Amino acid sequence: MEELINKIKRITELSAEAEEYFYSIGTKKSVQKGDILIRHGEIVKKNFYVLSGCLRSYCIDKNGKEHTLQFAIKEWWISDYIAINTNELGTLNVDCLMDSTIVEFNAQKLNEIHALYPAFGVFQRISLERHMVSLHKRILNQLQLTALERYELFLEQYPDIEKNTPNYHIASYLGITQQSLSRLRVEKAKN
Amino acid sequence: MKALQLNAYGEFKDSLTINEVSKPAVQPNDLLIEVKAAAINPIDKLIVLGYLKDMIPVPMPSTVGYDVSGVVVEKGAEVSNFEIGDLVYARVPQEQMGTIAEYVAVTSAVVAKKAGNISFEEAASIPLAGLTALQSLEAVGMKANDKVLIHAGSGGVGSLAIQYAKAKGAYVYTTTSTNNVDWVKELGADEVIDYKTKDYKAIVKNADIVFDTLGDTYTTEAFEVIKEGGKVVSVVGPMDEDAAKMFGIPNYQLPEQLAKAIASKKASYKYVFMHPNAEHLTQLKAMMEDEKIKPIVDTVYPFSESIEAFNHLATGRAKGKIVIKIA
Repeated sequence: MEELINKIKRITELSAEAEEYFYSIGTKKSVQKGDILIRHGEIVKKNFYVLSGCLRSYCIDKNGKEHTLQFAIKEWWISDYIAINTNELGTLNVDCLMDSTIVEFNAQKLNEIHALYPAFGVFQRISLERHMVSLHKRILNQLQLTALERYELFLEQYPDIEKNTPNYHIASYLGITQQSLSRLRVEKAKN
Repeated sequence: MKALQLNAYGEFKDSLTINEVSKPAVQPNDLLIEVKAAAINPIDKLIVLGYLKDMIPVPMPSTVGYDVSGVVVEKGAEVSNFEIGDLVYARVPQEQMGTIAEYVAVTSAVVAKKAGNISFEEAASIPLAGLTALQSLEAVGMKANDKVLIHAGSGGVGSLAIQYAKAKGAYVYTTTSTNNVDWVKELGADEVIDYKTKDYKAIVKNADIVFDTLGDTYTTEAFEVIKEGGKVVSVVGPMDEDAAKMFGIPNYQLPEQLAKAIASKKASYKYVFMHPNAEHLTQLKAMMEDEKIKPIVDTVYPFSESIEAFNHLATGRAKGKIVIKIA
């Protein structure tokens, strides 16, 4: 939690009261591999900040197959932002791919914190920008890069995930089949 | 809710109807599953036709089906390892038979989470056949590099047994008919023997294990192709002494010919009666997620065409499993 506060303080000045309030709406937690933290079909009340480990957000299609939207490693936020920002029921699940330490925030209170303490607005804007950049890059990569290039980027971005994650999560994130992923690995090993 | 029910033993079209029934009651250890897909197996056919009425008598009417995949919508007070919304699959125990319905109540002890990379239809195709394959090959302690003959490689059990044995590092021979040779090879079998044109007994020598899925003369013949001290495991041949004990049959003796065949090779014979098991389904889930096992579905029928699904099953010509999509 201190890590996160210090990170915010590097960007903006926080009063003691603001800091205290921030602490009051978040709880540091240890979660286990396999835990499901958000389930689709429910009201989404939580927003997570990852201190260590890895969480994943995914949807389940009507046939019961999972499609990975995002991996969140150290210093990333993850939740079902569609649900939080539209006040609709959740369409995503969030689970733990490995034992992780997270800060669990009350999503609504975190969303509204800038109204109480405007200093947080700066941090929220920067976080949102970072998230938007990441999403835009993900869409553009999907449109213009080859599967091998996307895989190489993935390895660069998430070096620890590959060792700890079933192939189908990675294949689904890259938008390719598991067989294609196996072929890419062989191809990469040859180069 | 709607359920496919057996009203009286007999031909599918006369005996099976989709009836409106009440939702099953949820016991303290049960999960109520909203059924997405159910698969049918040879045992379902035998039950409907009444061939098993002495062994497994069912009250009339009874909802049929053992294999299921779906979503947990309710849980009993004692259940702690599942949550509402979990995607699951199972082979339900005899007393909870009835998966071809909109809902089924199942003891959580036999339910496992479904693999995330496969559909509900694929998941439903696994339990009975997958458990049979896993439990049979584990019952004889199959290990890497064992030479294993699996009969009927294109069948529901055979096709999963090949993949399971290959994943465990065995060398796999299998038998199938001409039309199925190519796709059975794709499952990973090292040697696919077309029984229509070749005699498997001339090809398979000194096998460590024979997995007998055919019964009849194949059970005794298995001892001709195993090495001395080899093992034969069957799911359709005569019972062994342990199984007889389990079924409460006193002074059971193996058929003479079979006993002689076993003795001639100083071999062992094991009869496996598949039992529902969540831990085994969890092992299969992990193997599916790693793509070591791929579910093989021949045809998916809508709920309203369940009788067609049974007719297809009865032809015995399905490549892989026949699945009924409920929702």
